[in-house]
Amino acid sequence: MLTVKILGPGCANCRKLEAVARDAAASAGVEAEFVKVSDMKAIMAYDLMSTPGLVINDTLVSSGRIPTQAEIRQWMAE
Amino acid sequence: MNSVLQLLNGGAGNLAAYLAAHVLLCLVPAFFIAGAMASLIPKASITRWLGRTAPLHVSYPAAAAAGSLLAVCSCTIVPLFAGIYRKGSGLGPAITFLFFAPAGNIMALAYTGSLLGAEFAFARFILCLLFGIGIGMLMSLLFWSDDARHDAQTDTLFADEARIAPAAVGVLLSLVAVLIAGTLKLWPLTVTIGAIDLPLSWAQSWQDTLFRWVPFDETKGEEGVSLQGSLLIAFLVAIGVTAYKGMENIVEGSNRWTWTALTLAALTLLVAAMRFTPYPGGLEIGFTGRVFAVGFALWAVWHYARRLAAEDCRSWLWEAWRFVKQIFPLLVIGVFVVGIARELIQPQWVQALAGRNDLLANGVAVFFGVFMYFPTLVEVPVARMFLDLGMHPGPLLAYLMSDPELSLQSILMVAAVIGRRKALAYVGLVAVFSVVAGYLYGFWVDRAGIGNLGLGLLVFVAVLAFAMRWLNQRRRNGIQAA
Repeated sequence: MLTVKILGPGCANCRKLEAVARDAAASAGVEAEFVKVSDMKAIMAYDLMSTPGLVINDTLVSSGRIPTQAEIRQWMAE
Repeated sequence: MNSVLQLLNGGAGNLAAYLAAHVLLCLVPAFFIAGAMASLIPKASITRWLGRTAPLHVSYPAAAAAGSLLAVCSCTIVPLFAGIYRKGSGLGPAITFLFFAPAGNIMALAYTGSLLGAEFAFARFILCLLFGIGIGMLMSLLFWSDDARHDAQTDTLFADEARIAPAAVGVLLSLVAVLIAGTLKLWPLTVTIGAIDLPLSWAQSWQDTLFRWVPFDETKGEEGVSLQGSLLIAFLVAIGVTAYKGMENIVEGSNRWTWTALTLAALTLLVAAMRFTPYPGGLEIGFTGRVFAVGFALWAVWHYARRLAAEDCRSWLWEAWRFVKQIFPLLVIGVFVVGIARELIQPQWVQALAGRNDLLANGVAVFFGVFMYFPTLVEVPVARMFLDLGMHPGPLLAYLMSDPELSLQSILMVAAVIGRRKALAYVGLVAVFSVVAGYLYGFWVDRAGIGNLGLGLLVFVAVLAFAMRWLNQRRRNGIQAA
């Protein structure tokens, strides 16, 4: 069971990232819990300079862009 | 009933005239540039200068550069602002970044330039830059004890170094060339080099129909829709449809629609650069110098874009499309509403309140700017409307400086990151400085004493810089003594 956090105030990119991440989890058959983090203080706890940020099991794996499904699947496998 | 129809007609007419005339040559390249900045400029190439140990003369200009190059939308503005404040070079540069971002980014500049004139864009850029640095330094002076108490966290966030890839620089520069070639009203761009005649008998009657549909009053600064304009609106709709099919999932790869949309966008820019003259019985199409300049710049974009990594290219297109989706609909609604408002607002009101350049007029303009909230970039057509209705350029600039900087949304955001007391001080400073900036600009427009003004501003920033250095030195000595 993975915990996937989407960091972002709710802009277009954050929604897109969530959709891509959900698709990636579904296609890899990984069970994951999705958490949206929109509070700025909570977001700033991670070292990122641009949202959206993707956090898998409390590790920031990407920020400021939308990764492809393949990339996300690989991070989920690690 | 009749008057409601007239209002709606005003809104639709404004929108049609606007889409036909201004949007294409300026906004289409601007969206692509904004996308390229967001995806092709690695943040670390600028943020490496914003670390805790960076000296003043490095961190403030770097903060301004970050504001104009990295911060094209709030996704970057807020985290970067909080990052610079908490983990980087501190309050002052963070404020400079925040202040400069809405006025110094490419979209705002290009748009201001095409709608209000290059002089306005230039004044907005310079005054925002100087006052952004000034306000940053003042804030840092006011709250210098807070900055001194800054905990000694490691600033790993700002330790990364990166360079912009040469191909990305090529893409960015050639996109800027497209923008300049498309909008500048200068010889040799405006000269008609060759022309062809098409025997289209409907051209003249179509033009007459358009003018009947969208009646306009030149004295009020309104514009009609030309035949070329109607063609461009059709192009815009086609781009919208194909882009939706081609860009929505661009991250996973491109498809036929992607290429159709890109080709259409390039064609649109070329058509917009031509000169269409309908006459009874036919249509003359003039090829201006602009057509060749835009064509060459587009070729350069293509040439460099091919050398980008496929992944970079995709994220560039995605970011550009995202900006279109985020900004364009609001802009369309905004322009429509501005068209309605223009029918309602009497020029006498505007002239009575802000027709002169004095403190009251500038104050009113700033007050309006703080309490009205317009979505990104809509402040520019609003400003255009006020200019047409007789507002003096001075107060207009004051409004343009305060409106995007101080909306309720941005004030709340700032307060959440730096606390209420500092946010209040920031709001006060921005209001005061906007009034001063408007007054100075209006003074310059009226009397042309640019040398003295520029000198005065430079002295002001220099005095602040010295005060800061002195304080920093005292702080350092204090730490050493302790």
